[in-house]
Amino acid sequence: MSQRPHSQHTGCGHIEKLLYSRRELLGSLGGGIAGLAFADLLSRNGLLQAAVAAQTQTKPGGNPLAPKPQHFPAKAKAVISVFCYGGVSQIDTFDPKPDLVKWQGETMQGVGPVRTIMGNPGGLMPSPWTFKKYGQSGMDVSDLFPHIAGQVDDIAFIRSMYATSPAHGPALFQMNTGSILAGYPSVGSWVTYGLGSENENLPGFIVFTDYRGGPINGPPNWSNGFLPAAYQGTQFRDKGTPIVDLKPPVERTPDQQREWLRLLHDLNEKHMDVNPLDTELSARVHSYELAFRMQTHAPDAIDVSKETDATKKVYGVGEQPTDYFGRQLLMARRLVERGVRFVQVFSGGGNFDPSWDAHWNLKGNHGLHCAETDKPLAGLIKDLKSRGLFESTLIIWHGEFGRLPISERLDGRDHNNKGFTVWLAGGGVKGGTCVGSTDQYGYAAAENPKSVYELHATILHLLGLEYENLTYRFNGRDMRLTDVHGKVIREVLA
Amino acid sequence: MVACLLAGAAAWYAGGSVPAFARSSPADQDQLARQAYQVLKTHCFECHGAPKRSGLDMRTQETLMAGGANGKVIVPHDPGKSRLYLYATHEAEKKMPPTYKIPDADLETLRAWIEAGGSLEGVQEAASAAKDAADLAKAEERPIKPEERQYWAFKVPVRVAPPSPRTPGWNTNPIDAFLASAMEAKGVRPSPPADRRTLIRRAYLDVLGLPPSPEEVEAFVADRTPDAWTKVVDRLLASPHYGERWARHWMDLVRYADSEGFEFDVDRPQMYRYRDYLIDSFNKDKPYDLFIKEQLAGDEFAPDSDEAMIATGFLRLGPSGGGTRQDALDDLLATTSLTFMGLTVGCARCHNHKFDPIPQKDYYRLQSVFFSTREVEYPLAPAHEVETNRKAAQAVDAQQRPLRDELKKIEAPYLQQILDREIAKLPEYMQIAWKTPAEKRTEGQRLNAIQIEKTITNDSLRALTTEKDIVVLMPDAVKAKHAEVKAKIAELDKQKPKPLPTAVSIGERGRMPQPSYFLHRGSPDAPGSQMTPGVLSVVSPEEWTFPEPPPDAKSSWRRRGLAEWLTWKGNPLTARVMVNRIWQHHFGEGIVRTPGNLGKMGERPSHPELLDWLAVEFMDRGWSLKAMHRLMLTSRAYQMSSNDIAADLGVDPENRLFWRAPRVRLEAEIIRDEILAVSGSLDQTIGGPSIFPYIDPDLFEESSRRTWRGKPDTDPATWRRSIYVFLKRSIRYPMFETFDQPNLINSADRRNRTIIAPQALILMNNGMVLTQSKLFAERVARDAGSDVGQQVDRAFRLALARPPDAVERQRSIAFVKASPDGLTEFCHALVNLNEFVYRQ
Repeated sequence: MSQRPHSQHTGCGHIEKLLYSRRELLGSLGGGIAGLAFADLLSRNGLLQAAVAAQTQTKPGGNPLAPKPQHFPAKAKAVISVFCYGGVSQIDTFDPKPDLVKWQGETMQGVGPVRTIMGNPGGLMPSPWTFKKYGQSGMDVSDLFPHIAGQVDDIAFIRSMYATSPAHGPALFQMNTGSILAGYPSVGSWVTYGLGSENENLPGFIVFTDYRGGPINGPPNWSNGFLPAAYQGTQFRDKGTPIVDLKPPVERTPDQQREWLRLLHDLNEKHMDVNPLDTELSARVHSYELAFRMQTHAPDAIDVSKETDATKKVYGVGEQPTDYFGRQLLMARRLVERGVRFVQVFSGGGNFDPSWDAHWNLKGNHGLHCAETDKPLAGLIKDLKSRGLFESTLIIWHGEFGRLPISERLDGRDHNNKGFTVWLAGGGVKGGTCVGSTDQYGYAAAENPKSVYELHATILHLLGLEYENLTYRFNGRDMRLTDVHGKVIREVLA
Repeated sequence: MVACLLAGAAAWYAGGSVPAFARSSPADQDQLARQAYQVLKTHCFECHGAPKRSGLDMRTQETLMAGGANGKVIVPHDPGKSRLYLYATHEAEKKMPPTYKIPDADLETLRAWIEAGGSLEGVQEAASAAKDAADLAKAEERPIKPEERQYWAFKVPVRVAPPSPRTPGWNTNPIDAFLASAMEAKGVRPSPPADRRTLIRRAYLDVLGLPPSPEEVEAFVADRTPDAWTKVVDRLLASPHYGERWARHWMDLVRYADSEGFEFDVDRPQMYRYRDYLIDSFNKDKPYDLFIKEQLAGDEFAPDSDEAMIATGFLRLGPSGGGTRQDALDDLLATTSLTFMGLTVGCARCHNHKFDPIPQKDYYRLQSVFFSTREVEYPLAPAHEVETNRKAAQAVDAQQRPLRDELKKIEAPYLQQILDREIAKLPEYMQIAWKTPAEKRTEGQRLNAIQIEKTITNDSLRALTTEKDIVVLMPDAVKAKHAEVKAKIAELDKQKPKPLPTAVSIGERGRMPQPSYFLHRGSPDAPGSQMTPGVLSVVSPEEWTFPEPPPDAKSSWRRRGLAEWLTWKGNPLTARVMVNRIWQHHFGEGIVRTPGNLGKMGERPSHPELLDWLAVEFMDRGWSLKAMHRLMLTSRAYQMSSNDIAADLGVDPENRLFWRAPRVRLEAEIIRDEILAVSGSLDQTIGGPSIFPYIDPDLFEESSRRTWRGKPDTDPATWRRSIYVFLKRSIRYPMFETFDQPNLINSADRRNRTIIAPQALILMNNGMVLTQSKLFAERVARDAGSDVGQQVDRAFRLALARPPDAVERQRSIAFVKASPDGLTEFCHALVNLNEFVYRQ
């Protein structure tokens, strides 16, 4: 049962065999085991205790999210991925181009035709922010990120990223799934498919969106694509219950729910007795136990009020403008701490202004979004370090593309997929590194250019997954996150 | 160094006194040609190299001299007549390159070179480019080897006589004969017949996707006539709900959705007509060959039939509103090949298929079949009505136009005030650019001035400036006038005719198809030869002849040609693929377990002779689906029990011999339909616009420009079958998504059947489930009266098509009696049971 997913070469779409192959399960699982666990759960121990106990107890097979071993030893066990939706300007944050002042109002020379989305290219526009060098590594950071500036020796910057599409929709898909088209599994889905999850009481891949709304494309951004539904990102909401339909109906007391579950169990068991060899049936009974435990665990996992004031302060929780994003990252840490494999947090939502999409008023836009996220991001690094989790957690920071060095609408910047910056920190990442560079304008990746595939290959590698061997057969092909592309960016490896 | 030379040359020519290179030495000429080649490479190849814009490829001597679609571009020794030179100097339209002018020195090189003959002979790079082009042309060819035609799926199916198994009773239906003899060979015994209650529930769920009523169950149980079962089968196949159930299977294959997908995911409110077409087609047992013809080429087979035009909606189902034309064509081709051919032709987009004998050229020959299609909103009204409607709309528009102009005039001065204010706020270098006279601006200033114009002085600011911003600056009298004109426009709006209903359809611009090309590595930047339409080479030893469209045809008839090939009885794929799908939905798995891939990477058929027998039978019965259903449903194999038999499980745990009926978790839609049916709420209306059941707004409000007008769970308008739930690609109905409904983006030939905790949460806590559980309880109380024993009995019969046994009855009665809401809670538990969500 602990097979590596890539060794599964079952036929096209035969996924339930992978999960619940009768042949494989017959020996390990009788109809009664799930029932025993359930009885235990509802016994005298009380709900919460039982749930906690269940966490450490070996569960019967059939759980698609059961932890799977890494392909090779690697430090990172979990991921917190921060997606600055809309596209962050590299030249205003981590990729200084002081010469732009000299060339302000002029055109770029020798770069060929410049593609703009809004069709309104202006001359070069210098950054309204100033850069300084920070840390032992002497990393350049603009005054938009004063707190991150204090952590640069923990961070590896890749300044020579490029992507395929300058439009949000395809570019978001590419950053999330490798393909510019919809329908492919997201990075989080591939990672949970490859590694399972360490916590049975929570989904393995959890997504938080911005208070202003989610990114365009919607849930397909964290879709399982053609992978089984178990690997889809579960959106945790900041209001109401974190998961859809998590809460039992108001009129149903916990006692009633317990009684109800007991009835369900008894009637199901009767049916299973007739079909004792069908592991699907017992797996389904098992799923009700998980669901029941999730009702307690999910709200608890994201209950930030249980953190100390000191911790909250590190994330900027309780102050503005960092409160919301600080909470998101603090919840992300609580989830990772509990064994959730992949947490993705979006900063920015909706269209234009509410996202990083600074087509105009760059100063106001990036000023706001950086102020909201700078302290929480630095806080996350500090907090993970103080808890000894930094080495086992991979932090990824990126948008779907960068922004152009020329002006749009006088004081904004249009999309730029030809060159932008992303950064990585934590498990297995070599801090204080800077990979590649853009041209003199900060427009196109020039030295050591890195594709999104390479970024994805690197993420999988840092998690101990062989990106070329993590495959899934779909419509006649062994699909993989990096398709036929990609190479690990060795420079960022510790 | 080169730059110096060129600059020198330019100065020299500017003097104008020395005649051209015509007199210079061959060595000089070669050097000039090399320089000219570099100029062309720098400024022209991006479009007139590999991409061959206007058919012009300047990379080789031969193709440069041949010119492009508009004729020759070089007249040797005469730059003044050479279009290449005239366009490059911007002396004649079109200006080339379109976005800038080539530097004078380079133009001079071109001029001198053309004057010297304009030849690329002797330019090494041009020669190697010519060789590369020849190599590429060769790379397009991938002949089919004779042995590749011998692969089972590419040979025409042949009917062999069914075997004669020894197993008693398994000799009548040929399906049974094939299955039993295979079982005998492996020492596996077929399962005993299922009990009648299980059987009728199974058939209802398979054929209709709805559970039988207790009365229907009892009537069947009591019917002791020999044809009791065939009567049930015939009744089910005659039910209009059959079309709903089987249309949904088809919708998985063609990735049906009611919205475009991509960034804005715009709704397709008329798409449902295609869904209704499917339901209707299944219900009237439309021959499968006609079904294919209508979907691929309804406009070419029956241009005046609304039904056929609606059917072409198949070609419009892919995501749109983002991505490239090539991506959309690829999606269409991949879906078409998976759906109708059961092959992964889409894999041959960038290279020859890695496993199957599908040359990349076949892909592009097939692509040329679809290349000329365009979207058509086909009005579902008589021609005269369409004309009247158009005229009426025009008339209103003509009256409104002067009013709209007037409105603009009134607003103009106030808008100007806002603009001036904005310009004054700009950074200094921008203001300088704005104030510099146009002819004196640098390139950057020119761009910035345009930006100011576009951002402030035209529509962009208009978009940022609301009407309110402008009106507030007006004196009262002007304000009043403004309002008056606006009111007039609004009044006229009311006279606009209602838009006619339309079908989402496909057409072409005429009988002449647009040229399409082989694309090396799948890249539009590397086109190879122009393609003529074709089909799969491996299946057609002779070149398949596409029909010649009549002179008045509105399209190329290429799709008609493809449809004729697919429905040609010599096509080894079409019938096999479809009978395998029907089988898959009755027996849990296909005879080929990869129903969308009969190729090498797919699985081999478990019963090849049975598959072929069925395929031939299917065609011989006039492509009738219902005939095939009837054959399968009346087999003994279909009527077996699904229970575990340890001995058989030991030999064949995956049931590849079909020794028992499958037990499968029902699809998302069917679970919902079942719940609505047992609660007595189900609105059985067939067809019509899609419905919007409730989705928690927290799940989608984030998405800008997208919304879901969900109605509350208590609104009976939402109590319709799941096939009518609006399928929005970016806002999925959570229950469907969680229970493995395919992603609405890729063709899906087989659903995942995962078992995950969020599914349990939905059935435990979702508002729709709770609402219906309550209604279920009310129905039970109504039907059974106040006796709890009777209530439990009735609820079991409704939900599970059987009465409870003694233990279940006792347990259930105790539960119902234990609390005031006991009956509702109990009914809610029933719809959560394994037995309820499984077909067995």
